[in-house]
Amino acid sequence: MIDMHVHPMHIAELWEEDPDLGDAVDGPFGLHGKPTPLENFLVQLEYSKIGHAVLLPLDCTAAHNCVVVRNEALSRLVADHAELIGFASVDPNQADAPKRLRHAVEELGLSGLKLDPSLQVFDIDDRKLAYPVYAACVELDIPLVMHCGLSWAPEGRSSRAQPISLEPVVHQFPELRVVIAHCGFPWVEDALLLALKYEHVYLDTAIIYAGTPADSVRRVLAERIGVDIIDRALHHKLVFGSNYPRVDFKRMVGAVKALGLHPWLEERVFHQNAADLLGLKDGRP
Amino acid sequence: MKSVVTRMTVQTRAETEMINVTDNVKLAVTESGVRQGVAYVTTMHTTTGITVNECLPDVEDDIIGMLERLAPAEDLSYRHARFLPSDGGMAVNSHCHQRAAILGPQVAFPIELGELVLGGRQTIYFVELDGPLLRNFVIHMIGDENE
Repeated sequence: MIDMHVHPMHIAELWEEDPDLGDAVDGPFGLHGKPTPLENFLVQLEYSKIGHAVLLPLDCTAAHNCVVVRNEALSRLVADHAELIGFASVDPNQADAPKRLRHAVEELGLSGLKLDPSLQVFDIDDRKLAYPVYAACVELDIPLVMHCGLSWAPEGRSSRAQPISLEPVVHQFPELRVVIAHCGFPWVEDALLLALKYEHVYLDTAIIYAGTPADSVRRVLAERIGVDIIDRALHHKLVFGSNYPRVDFKRMVGAVKALGLHPWLEERVFHQNAADLLGLKDGRP
Repeated sequence: MKSVVTRMTVQTRAETEMINVTDNVKLAVTESGVRQGVAYVTTMHTTTGITVNECLPDVEDDIIGMLERLAPAEDLSYRHARFLPSDGGMAVNSHCHQRAAILGPQVAFPIELGELVLGGRQTIYFVELDGPLLRNFVIHMIGDENE
């Protein structure tokens, strides 16, 4: 099982390395609570039978003067743990973002990019700031996880994260592999439109807004999109993501299992689609 | 009067788990120097419990089964199923809170001649109800150093 949507900011070892991380997590990101040792994180992954977790940092330098887990720290963390896959984050508001991304991938060994327009404060379709970053993703042949839809971060502005804003981007960069996080809730149909039309647009299951994870996942995937549509047209496009620690691994796994997907389709959602997206070979990207 | 608080940490490894902490409590009592008094064992969480029962696997299974029957995870009527701004995450573990309420957060035993007074079949359990997580409980010994 591969979890494509994990926030690593409550891992104590990362807090010990960066004295500013606690304020960034508690402040702009709005995730409150105490960090716990990496061992506790790994135990939770193992219990939920998640073999690989994609860890997503976030560089909010321009908007909030903070970085929620630095690329260098994440690179060191994942280096000794085959079950952890680190993505990079760069701030599109910084002119050297493409250069930083290249460094993160080629020098630090990170495997993809996470962007959050709601919290980093940029326009998804900004040709001057964002397009060079997308071009770098294509050149580096890495996937992009794009936060779309509702932002629970106190400083996040969901209106900046409407998935339909990605349409000109994926039209301009047809080779860009991009995951629309959270199925873009509440703009689910817009996210669906893009995933149906564009070959390299994916959706993740990290859907939490009210009720239990099983409630929100069912309402979006089974009732708004439809399991029949997923089966016929999105069987290779939907990847499992939990949004941990805004929700537990175990509950989001249970929520997707509760859909009662055909075993073949469930295996694709929990593992194969992400493995293909990440280009996993021998368990590593 | 002497008061000693010993803090314990446990890495739980399952969603629901009964962990025998009797030896931890006995050791804390011995090391506290309290010869006559009371030992309180208290969890620091709202989705764990402290309870006493017989240390048999079937008894443990039946207790967990009782908790699952009384507070089923799948009940759709729970109101505690929403985003919790004070956490920054989803509060979707109502059944865990209910199970913790059933078990209670604390037990107490006498201390006599510097040792815990415990029945022959009594085992003190720290009970995980929303794991696996890193958890804490405290053992508070209060009493006299003299017999």
